[in-house]
Amino acid sequence: MWTRKASFTFTGGISLILIGMMISNHQMMILGFAFVAFIVVNSWISGHGDVEVQRKLSADNLYKGDDLYVELLITNRSNRKTQLLEVYDNIPHEMKLRSGLNQMQLNLRPGESARIRYVLRCPLRGHYSIGPVSLRARNTFNLGVEEMYVDHHSDIVIFPQIKDIEEAFLRSRTPKMYTGATTLRTPGQGSEFYSLREYVPGDPFKNINWKAYARTGELMVNEKCRDAVTDLYILLDSRDVARIGTVLKNPLEMSCVSSASLAAFFIQRRDSVALAIYGDGLSYLPPDTGDKQYFKLLSALAGVTPKGNMPLQAVTNSLSGRFSRGSPVFIISSCEGDGTVPAAVRDLVGRGHEVTVLSPSSIDFERLVSRIPRMSYEVLKLERQNRLTTLAGSGAQVIDWMPDMDLSQALMQVRGY
Amino acid sequence: MASEVGVQSDVTMTGGVGARTLHLKLLRKQWQILALQIVATVALIAMYLEVVSTYVVGSIDHTMLFDSIELIIGDQLPLGDWLTGEGREGLGRFFVPLVLGLTIGGGMAFLAFQSPQTQQRIKLGFIITMIVMLVGRLIISWLTGMLFSFDLRLPSDSELQTLQWPLLMIMSLVILFIYLLPVIMGTRGIWGLSRRSIAWAIGFTLIFLGIHAILTFPLIKGQLGSYGAQFATLESQVSNPTIGLFGFKLVTQEQFNLIAIAILIMVFQESSYGVIRYLEYAYRLPESCKRDPEYVRQMDNLLNGHLRHTIGFLGLTAIATMVALGFHSVLLELVSNTTGSQWAGQVSESIELTLTYGLVISALMFLSLMAVMRFFIPWQRVWGLIQSRLPSNETAQDNGKEFAQIDI
Repeated sequence: MWTRKASFTFTGGISLILIGMMISNHQMMILGFAFVAFIVVNSWISGHGDVEVQRKLSADNLYKGDDLYVELLITNRSNRKTQLLEVYDNIPHEMKLRSGLNQMQLNLRPGESARIRYVLRCPLRGHYSIGPVSLRARNTFNLGVEEMYVDHHSDIVIFPQIKDIEEAFLRSRTPKMYTGATTLRTPGQGSEFYSLREYVPGDPFKNINWKAYARTGELMVNEKCRDAVTDLYILLDSRDVARIGTVLKNPLEMSCVSSASLAAFFIQRRDSVALAIYGDGLSYLPPDTGDKQYFKLLSALAGVTPKGNMPLQAVTNSLSGRFSRGSPVFIISSCEGDGTVPAAVRDLVGRGHEVTVLSPSSIDFERLVSRIPRMSYEVLKLERQNRLTTLAGSGAQVIDWMPDMDLSQALMQVRGY
Repeated sequence: MASEVGVQSDVTMTGGVGARTLHLKLLRKQWQILALQIVATVALIAMYLEVVSTYVVGSIDHTMLFDSIELIIGDQLPLGDWLTGEGREGLGRFFVPLVLGLTIGGGMAFLAFQSPQTQQRIKLGFIITMIVMLVGRLIISWLTGMLFSFDLRLPSDSELQTLQWPLLMIMSLVILFIYLLPVIMGTRGIWGLSRRSIAWAIGFTLIFLGIHAILTFPLIKGQLGSYGAQFATLESQVSNPTIGLFGFKLVTQEQFNLIAIAILIMVFQESSYGVIRYLEYAYRLPESCKRDPEYVRQMDNLLNGHLRHTIGFLGLTAIATMVALGFHSVLLELVSNTTGSQWAGQVSESIELTLTYGLVISALMFLSLMAVMRFFIPWQRVWGLIQSRLPSNETAQDNGKEFAQIDI
């Protein structure tokens, strides 16, 4: 495609020829011919984007705030020079360039390669895709330009940040849940014997009970008791109200950080952790332990977006049947705009669960982006305080989490209730 | 652009011998950049000399204007003849002013790279000098006259006469400046990295050519009477071609000069703008990229490509224009040689063909043919294939390393 410069030069050339003809001025005509010849000669050479692109990332999964090293290798596989080729690697707008540049102007010979290296800061959790690679080929005098792209994507998941949690902070008034390993009488990964069952393809040979085989003549395998402290249930509020605040500091972000940190803490202790995210709908990850579960939890948390308005009671009603008896439940919610929270908490406490409500203070988050009159703020704060006191009165441990407060600090408040 | 260069003045070459970066301080001394700037300067000078030799010398040049002024005032102008070129013949009248123009342009470019404070001081000094030169003598003589006679009065005639020399001096300088405007602005643009100055240089030249074309249009020229007779007109077509290629005589000497002007304008424009474009790109790169050998290597590729294309493609443009202008005679010669018919001879004698219509039609036909030929000749691929077989001087790449350490 012609550039504006080429169009002007060509139009100017033709105009000069015509005006030169009109007033019989040869200088104008010749100038016009030279301009047109310039365009014609240069149209013989054109840039191209027939290149091979390979992108290497330093990691496929990162934690929020980490740096991602990207290396883009561009190789000219054609038999001609690329001419002036501008390469631009499209990066998600949530990511920030920390070092280097995601673009380069180059002129590659046949077979030649060039590397673009840059570092991205990932300040927001989520599922992202780097790419495609945009290419703009020009000829040297910028008379022709071709824009194209190489559909090469690299997917990356940015997990929420994990904050260190000290064990002492999680100790509650009823320490039975955190007193150490208690075998759950359910089959699963563990060390203690649970039962014998028939062998099914896929079972590891080391689990075959050879004595039982000799006795019965059928392959039998040992099943173990699930070796876990307990099942922890995290109910994460991702309703639309959770977006109040700035992009980096809002109830949902803090909720994700706390969910990930709690999950990391408990999974490290070989507990099972379940996650229910409610907002637009309800997504539920059943309790499990181990690295795989940890990865699943982080991936789920990475993709949380604020939307919907599902009440907490709807969540507890549909999930309470799945909750293990006596297991602790963490409700991470600002408790704004949901009148069913006290009832839901009462219901859970009534069923014998130890309920902890971790509530990011949405009023204080709102103050970060808009000015709230002092009197209104005081009133709203009082309302919130009453709401939390009601929850505490229902038998839950309630944590009022302020924006500038660290998670460990916030968890210390549990002792106060 | 020029003022921005100062920001990086603290950058020094580090890392031992051979450490090349894309800092402007180093890049401006790179041979490709210097070569492009020299090519642009040579093109500017050649274009200027070509234009003045074709249109100005002996017709409307500055020495003739100075002579006329001297005749009117009945006195010599303050500027010496050695400086203005009066008394010399032909292009010789422009040599010293040309050097003066290049010096002023270079000085302005140098000034553009100084700190704003220094620039302000120099400009202030220049203005004060001009004011003192203009009215200094008048004020001193007038004030001292009033002081000694102890009388408050207007300046006398003799005192006012002290203004004549500075006024004439300034007028002469302004006239010279107008004549040298393309050279001054062009030099400032090339070496001071100013797009606006380059546009001024090209624009002024094109405006001059346009005004000249209008004034030499027979109807207008007739209206101008004796003044119009002064303008140099070009009889470039209806003479026999003397310059050609491959045995074909294509263009006349006059046509060749005009082609040279057009091509030199383009060489000047492309190389000077090219330098600014590449330096701007390098300037905008972040610090880590400026030190990245990959960026340095690709900058070399770009600059080498630009140099090659400036020489090759603008040379081809000149040849294409020449062939286009002489294409009608080539066609007729071919027809005449191959068929031997009288038709070719008759057509060639046709006044219509040698005048504009035939020439324009045949030239545009040739250029259209050339434009279409790109679809039939894959020369870009052929040349690329040859290049890929040539030994490459590519720098070794650290392929073994998955991720290079990037300074943050």
